[in-house]
Amino acid sequence: MTATGDLEGGYRRLLRWYPTSYRGRHEEEILGVLMAAAQPGQRRPAMRESLDLLWSALKIRVRTILRGADSQPWAAALAFVAVLLPLLMLLLKLTIFLDRGAQYGFGTPADILIGAYGEPGSYAQSFQANPYSVALTGNVTDALTAGPLPALILAVLACLGRRRAAAIFAAFVPLAYLGITLGNGYTLLGAPRTAVTLYAYGLEALILFAAPGAARGWRALRWRPSALLAIATVAAGVGMNGGLWRIFHVPPAFPANVLGRAARLRRLANLPHGFIDRLFGVGAGQWGGWLLYQGLLVAIIVIALVALLVGSPVSRRALSLFAVPFALGAIIYLCSLISPPLPASVGNTLVVVPLLLMLLAAMVVSLGHGRNAGPDVPGRPATPGAA
Amino acid sequence: MNDRPLQEPTFLLLTALADGPQHGYGIMTDVDRISAGRVKLRAGTLYAALDRLAAEGLVEADREEVVDGRLRRYYRLTPPGGDRLAVEVERLQHNAAAAARRLKLRHRAMDGLV
Repeated sequence: MTATGDLEGGYRRLLRWYPTSYRGRHEEEILGVLMAAAQPGQRRPAMRESLDLLWSALKIRVRTILRGADSQPWAAALAFVAVLLPLLMLLLKLTIFLDRGAQYGFGTPADILIGAYGEPGSYAQSFQANPYSVALTGNVTDALTAGPLPALILAVLACLGRRRAAAIFAAFVPLAYLGITLGNGYTLLGAPRTAVTLYAYGLEALILFAAPGAARGWRALRWRPSALLAIATVAAGVGMNGGLWRIFHVPPAFPANVLGRAARLRRLANLPHGFIDRLFGVGAGQWGGWLLYQGLLVAIIVIALVALLVGSPVSRRALSLFAVPFALGAIIYLCSLISPPLPASVGNTLVVVPLLLMLLAAMVVSLGHGRNAGPDVPGRPATPGAA
Repeated sequence: MNDRPLQEPTFLLLTALADGPQHGYGIMTDVDRISAGRVKLRAGTLYAALDRLAAEGLVEADREEVVDGRLRRYYRLTPPGGDRLAVEVERLQHNAAAAARRLKLRHRAMDGLV
């Protein structure tokens, strides 16, 4: 092969790192410039030229993703999820709170705010007994991830359209949680509900920084009736599985044959007990009852959700965004099943890395176009040559 | 309009397009000439910058032609791009004039001390 052929092949290999759509528009043009700038007799791309192309390809890829977030379906889905996700988190935390309160007592208003349960003033009593461990570890971390207050603050900020404040708060909560837990030597693996909460906060921070449309606040939810129906469906599911059913439902007395079936179901259902039961607060061994009481409801919810959310490009994107924290939580839970168990440091790293990546991406997005984005940016001009 | 100071390569790129459309290699050589060899734009950096500036509406594609079997696309400054460059020129001139005045005063003061 000639020197020119070798060099052109080398440049083409480097240009493959660019996004396909960008390459389609600019590959021949950039190649022309590269060949024109090449030294006589040069057979392969110079190291600095190669690094420059790779770095630029990375920048173009990041921008392409960000512009994708500005396209109409993604913008609508991000704005929708940015407001709905905090509302659902608030609902989930409230239902868990009500469920726990029904079991252990609601305590004083101060206890309620930080998510502590038990006798009135129990938090104050335990604080007097051991201020350090109570104030800085258990109750605070519980308040951050299980208590309703952070979710309430986030939901209010998101609904008011205070995008930047909500994003900063959404990033602060999981970071504070990690700071306290890791600083006190806690293990994070094997607590999928906490992991899902942390990832939900991280995702919310990322979405809020990425989606200028989220500045519309609660008005973002008005865009279609099916979205409202989807919200109601998801809220009902989360609410019921978050613990409301325990408050409202009184188990009936079973006839013998039903009890036998329940026992068989329970034995069967004990096999996969893990992620979902821990996630929704169903203890091991209670799957039989859970299936009997909740199975139908969950089936209806799932069918309704699929019918509602897969119906349009916006809904599909919204659904995929909602799935992110749960999918990550499931992966973390599966990692916790590895035998022999992973060392605590490895487990903690596994939990922390996705969250930090989300927050890092939020920071990059914020620095990338947050400064230029107005409250409602409909889209951006095309790349060079596309006009 | 975004009035943040332009980085030097961006300023030089817009300057290269100020008096008429140019293709990618033309911009590279022109930037080299304008900066007296201090700033050398590589192809990757050039096209990443063009992509960003086009997204900001400061430059746009002008026309295409094929020379020796290679595609050439020409870029031109848009009206907002021209305005942005003018603002930057004014800012630099203002700063340069202020610096020159202060230096003159400093030299006078030093001459007075001698």
